[in-house]
Amino acid sequence: MRSTCRFFVPALLALSLMGCGSKPPAEETSSTAPAAAPAAAPVDPATAAEITGTVSFEGQAPSRVRIRMDAVPACTEASKEPVFSEEVVVNDNKTLRDVFVYVKDGLGNRTFPVPATSAVLDQKGCWYRPHVLGLMTGQKLNVKNSDPTNHNVHPIPTQNREWNESQPPQAADLAKDFARPEVMIPVKCNVHPWMKAYIGVVPHPFFAVTDEQGSFSLQGLPPGDYTIEAWQEKYGTQEQKITVGPKESKAITFTYKG
Amino acid sequence: MPETSSQQPDQDPVVTSSLSVPLLISALLLVLVLFWSLYDELYGQRLWKSYQDRFVKNYTSLIQKQLPAQAEQEKQIRQSPEFQKLEQAAAAAEDAVRPQIAEIDREISQVLTPQIAVLNKHFAEARGEVQALQYQMETAASQRSKESYRKDIAAAENRKREAELPTGNGVVKKITFNNYGEMDAELTRLKARKAELETKRIELLKPAEEARRKRDAYMKDHLVGLTEAQMQGLLRKMQTFVMDIKQIHVADVDLVDRCESCHLATREPLKITKAEMGGEPAFTSHPAPELLEIHDPERFGCTPCHNGNGRATTSVEKAHGKYKHWLWPLYDRANMEAGCQECHIRDMVLTYADTLNQAKALVDHRGCVGCHRYEGYDPEPEQLQIVQQTISQKEALKHQMLLDAQRTISDGDRAPDNKTAQQLYAKADNLRVMSSGIDNEIGELDRQAKNLMRERKKVGPSLKEVRVKLNRDWIPVWLEDPQDFRPGSRMPRFRLDDDQRKAIAAFIWQAGVPGQLPSRPKGDSNTGKELFETRGCMGCHSVGEGDNSVGGTFAANLTRVGEKANYEYLVRWVHDPRERTRPYCPLEKRDIGPEDYQKAGLPFVFDPDHSTCPNDGHEMQVQQMTVMPSLRLTNEEAQDIASYLITLRKKVPNSYPAAPYMDDPALKAKGLAWVKHYGCAGCHEIAGLEEEGRIGTELTKEGSKPIERLDFALLTHKAEREGWYNNKGFFEHKLENPAVYDEGRERPPLERLRMPDFDLKPDEITALTTLLLGSVDSALPPRYFHQPEGQGRDIQEGWRIVMKYNCMGCHVLRLGQRSVIMDLPRYQDPDWKEQIPPQLIGEGARVDPVWLSKFLANPALSETDTNRNGVRPYLNIRMPTFFLSDHEVAKLVRFFEALSSEQGPYIPPKLEPLTEQERSLARALFTSPGAPCLQCHATGDPRHDEKATAPSFVLSRLRLRPDWTRRWMLDPAMMSPGTAMPSGLFKPEANRMVFAGPTPPGFEAYKKDHAQLLVRYMFEFTPEEQRRLAGSAPMPASASRSVPNPTRAALQ
Repeated sequence: MRSTCRFFVPALLALSLMGCGSKPPAEETSSTAPAAAPAAAPVDPATAAEITGTVSFEGQAPSRVRIRMDAVPACTEASKEPVFSEEVVVNDNKTLRDVFVYVKDGLGNRTFPVPATSAVLDQKGCWYRPHVLGLMTGQKLNVKNSDPTNHNVHPIPTQNREWNESQPPQAADLAKDFARPEVMIPVKCNVHPWMKAYIGVVPHPFFAVTDEQGSFSLQGLPPGDYTIEAWQEKYGTQEQKITVGPKESKAITFTYKG
Repeated sequence: MPETSSQQPDQDPVVTSSLSVPLLISALLLVLVLFWSLYDELYGQRLWKSYQDRFVKNYTSLIQKQLPAQAEQEKQIRQSPEFQKLEQAAAAAEDAVRPQIAEIDREISQVLTPQIAVLNKHFAEARGEVQALQYQMETAASQRSKESYRKDIAAAENRKREAELPTGNGVVKKITFNNYGEMDAELTRLKARKAELETKRIELLKPAEEARRKRDAYMKDHLVGLTEAQMQGLLRKMQTFVMDIKQIHVADVDLVDRCESCHLATREPLKITKAEMGGEPAFTSHPAPELLEIHDPERFGCTPCHNGNGRATTSVEKAHGKYKHWLWPLYDRANMEAGCQECHIRDMVLTYADTLNQAKALVDHRGCVGCHRYEGYDPEPEQLQIVQQTISQKEALKHQMLLDAQRTISDGDRAPDNKTAQQLYAKADNLRVMSSGIDNEIGELDRQAKNLMRERKKVGPSLKEVRVKLNRDWIPVWLEDPQDFRPGSRMPRFRLDDDQRKAIAAFIWQAGVPGQLPSRPKGDSNTGKELFETRGCMGCHSVGEGDNSVGGTFAANLTRVGEKANYEYLVRWVHDPRERTRPYCPLEKRDIGPEDYQKAGLPFVFDPDHSTCPNDGHEMQVQQMTVMPSLRLTNEEAQDIASYLITLRKKVPNSYPAAPYMDDPALKAKGLAWVKHYGCAGCHEIAGLEEEGRIGTELTKEGSKPIERLDFALLTHKAEREGWYNNKGFFEHKLENPAVYDEGRERPPLERLRMPDFDLKPDEITALTTLLLGSVDSALPPRYFHQPEGQGRDIQEGWRIVMKYNCMGCHVLRLGQRSVIMDLPRYQDPDWKEQIPPQLIGEGARVDPVWLSKFLANPALSETDTNRNGVRPYLNIRMPTFFLSDHEVAKLVRFFEALSSEQGPYIPPKLEPLTEQERSLARALFTSPGAPCLQCHATGDPRHDEKATAPSFVLSRLRLRPDWTRRWMLDPAMMSPGTAMPSGLFKPEANRMVFAGPTPPGFEAYKKDHAQLLVRYMFEFTPEEQRRLAGSAPMPASASRSVPNPTRAALQ
């Protein structure tokens, strides 16, 4: 029975197809699974290149708003120094501090090990230190509370999961990470709404935040063509394309106008 | 040579010609036919056999392919230390009781069971003997023989009996029973012992069972997919697969579905895709197994949801019902949810049926119900009509009764004797009492009418207001093509010629009620813009065209509103959209003016509190039939917003060509005819047409109309040729182009199809077609229908109101739903995110229903201080006043309670009162730097409150439920992800939750739950307590907070 069945099946199928004439609707293209990343060539330290640069500022530096927290003694206990908004910080050499600079494109599908060291976001004097920081995806972020008051730490991402946790004084550090790249994730404290920090999360270690000299440096890059992006809290983003050869060190300058 | 042939006899065909060839051919043909018929019988008609053959092959290889991976995964779990530990625990628990279990098992199986068996036999014999004697005694005729039987019974009962009971070790114990009773007692004892041991066995095995359950649960939680054993089971099932018709038979509804003869993978526990099964679409798992769980196929079959011919097995077309003589062909994939509608006709929002949900929203939103009746939609006009008719009847009845009473009294006065007179007087009194009862009924009907008049809405704006509202010359331009002036407008395009348009425009203009609006000073349009964008207008309205459009699509796009509307009217509308120029008296059927009030000596004042007609004393329509709520703005704010709106235009209003014919009285009568013809009053309030009925066909059962009754007109043959001569094809073509079946026909305008063009998008056409296909006169028995009762009904009634007023423009009510507000560009800023209105999932569990009903009726929570939010004064966006009827408020409250499975009536639980010591502890914690409660929650201090981000604690006692409050404090992100309220304020310690931060002195000695302490404190929180705290706590920071405000917004 089985064997005859086998014999007839093709004929039957053919008949049935002729009979119905209507083929089932074209197959939906199955959702393309992410192509398995070809084994990423490890970065050869012998050919690694470097991109350095500065973020300069033109025009009149906006005056920084004084943040008054006198009403909360716990915030001013440690220091009575006046505190100013860090939205735009122009250095003495006409450069910008706290600009997040990173490789936006050009690394292909290389993967990089997650650094074992964790980044630190401290809450001190009701202020986030640093104001802007970078993280690699999966890298640990330690949130400290050095204040004698309760804070809540509330990142408001669009790509990652949102959370909002209370951190009382002397509490253990919150150890968190972000699974997906996102530039930038604003962090705020609902209790002290002037507190603002920004975290840039990228899937590789080539990121930097400009310092008091307005400079940055991206080291250990494999040679190649890159798109470098700079992000500034108030003025937004800028992009530059650059090619670096083996062991080459190139400098670029981003310029924001006030 | 001649004649030779004639001499020979004629050739006899029997002799000379052979039939063997035709016979052979016939025989061969016969054999072929035999084979063909055999083949056809066995296979041609039994298509499913080949399907089953292929299925078994493909599925077997699929299981074999997946088996190693599953086995490996299972192995890894088995080898994991956690599983090992659980496994060992299970083994240890088993080992621990093994000797006892063995002993019990031995006693039961070797001693008790055999003994009981033996003794049972003896006992049965003895009992038989006694019972036989008993029967004879009872049926014996004489007392004497009865007596003798009694003696026999006694003798039988007291006879000594012997039994040989095995004792388990091969030895047999001989027991002698002195009488029947002893034997009975022994048997009972043995049985009791056995039961006791069995119970003990279960008790002993409990820990082992528990350990095994934990182990298996661990496996189940960690294994993705089936276990190896389950997979092997599937393999065995395939090996022993029997080829036959697989059928579901539900006898009481005469349902026979053989679909699974080919669709064999539908209910397989493995998730099977087409690709894995050789690309055969018949072999896929049901895409929504959760639906099968609530609609068990053994009870529901397949065709009640999918249609098709469940009995047919001879071909795919037949089985799918896609042939001429089957009335219920399989629903297309796009219209699949039509099957849901058949039974879920009462559900407004149905999980898993988003296409239907979209269609149901469209029916309301685009105003289909303005012309077409559809059961359950827009029922208010009909109900109102019934109420008003009843009022008229009752009034007539009362009048008649009083008249009768009067006559009866006169009859009594003239009665010949006192007795008759008294009877007549009594009768008259009764009539008068009854008439006063009718007064009460009329009062109740008036209240109903008032509710219904509040609830009744029209899709389009009132055209009674045109004279005070519109730029006259704009009206004909609008009528020419509403979609051109306002793309995406709810107003459809009518196919009007020039004369018709002029006549309609002139009629509308002249039918507008007379009135004069007070002149208003201009406001500040910049402030107005900011208010427009932050008070919540954009939850429903949008500004900007095409890709630049920002805001909700529920209400009008206002990009060009400045070209059509009068400033004064906009001010009135923004300030209070219910306000109308004249009230409408439904009993007198006309709009009442100041002259009517003057006659009654009353001022011309009408609003929801002054809604009785000065002429007949009954309820009037005193508000516009709009769902637009009041944002409780001041006149100045309304002027600012109106000043902004009036700037929204592409050209100046007076650049519209003058249309003097609008005032031509001759056109009015012509226009009236056309307005009636096109059913304009279905969507608009029009003076004189308040009682107009719906002009379209009823759609409640449209899907089961036989195809002959759908008028394809001249397109019948074309439709047949192109394969859309069916209900689906009819609906789709009609919705896409409502004039399509006029094609080729030459008819006078009055006989042409009237349905206007709605410019529906393809997905909207699909959704509406699905709804229509599912709108059938179902043959299924009533038990299949979803007739929501109790909370189910509350939920569906609530959804109607939620959709009606577009609550979801601002609030999230369903998981996964997004409000319009939260997607506006402005609200992407982290600071503005805190300005998003609260999400309402779980609202029924959060608030006290009595409070909620007060809040819904008056969201300011104050009669005097109304220009604010009652709960969240810090939000720029305003919870509007919707002027809900009492009915609607009650329905919404029940809706929220039902969504949270809260059973009414709610009686607030009594909380243990705080002791003085507890109060001071709670107070200390509230104000300690470790607990930031008062930093964010409103405190009553206006300087603080304008920057607060959470409601005042003073509201807690009446507003919240204590159990919810505690859960909220423990982990707010569980209820409302993204909330400004932080998680982790409390941590578990032993059996209680304690505050996670440093606690004020005194707490070391406090051993109770800290969260509950704060709940109890909050529920005793009074304004005095709040003032007291404000005095003692450090003033919350107020300067330099980057909260949203207009200046901040200007920077964005």
